[in-house]
Amino acid sequence: MIKSAFKIVCDSGPIIHLDELNCLHLLEDFQEILLPDTVYKEINRYRPLRLNNSNLPFVLSAGTIPNNSTLITLCSIFSLDVGETEALALMEKNPQAIFLADDASARMVAEQMGFKVHETIGILVRSIRRNQMEPGEVLRILRGVPSQSTLYIKPSLLDEVILKIKKEYNL
Amino acid sequence: MKTIQTEIPEQLYKKALSLVKEGWFRDEKDVFSEAIRRFLETHRPELMEKSIRDDVEWGLHGHD
Repeated sequence: MIKSAFKIVCDSGPIIHLDELNCLHLLEDFQEILLPDTVYKEINRYRPLRLNNSNLPFVLSAGTIPNNSTLITLCSIFSLDVGETEALALMEKNPQAIFLADDASARMVAEQMGFKVHETIGILVRSIRRNQMEPGEVLRILRGVPSQSTLYIKPSLLDEVILKIKKEYNL
Repeated sequence: MKTIQTEIPEQLYKKALSLVKEGWFRDEKDVFSEAIRRFLETHRPELMEKSIRDDVEWGLHGHD
């Protein structure tokens, strides 16, 4: 299958959560996975060696602060951490990329800036559409989210997501 | 008011204390109350639910 035309910029959360669920390979579908320095260090702290041992198209960048004054202000107002701020600075340089983040505040700032934003759950569901995984396999992984990952999602909402996928694929 | 006991990283506490010393807040309690208030503002359940629902929709029917 032809890769997606998009690059992604990642906060640490989705990489860690996808790795916990043994689904990091789903990111192979993107042209490049851009990681700023602090995010890279955060991932290495929680999931050491993962980045070095994978064949994923990671591209590491020096951590910088944003240039855009609105973005700087929003990062400050929403108390984003260094990794999130550096990731958004990378988005500023790659505005056509997709920003992957599970943190609500980081997503909010990215949306305010007009960036495309998605999260771990979206990447899991997308894998069916992109023929990376079968619907049944994705359902099994989603059911394992509470016990096999540090991604927090309200149980009733997770049930709703699972039901939606079942309906979509007549399962 | 509710009293809670918790542990926070030393560095975080020092930064909060520094804000108080500089006169930005009355005391550490004010710093932590304000921090939690801001966190709760951006982590409203309806916003987080909408975000996940939108993401599932993108996962199922998106074009990228």
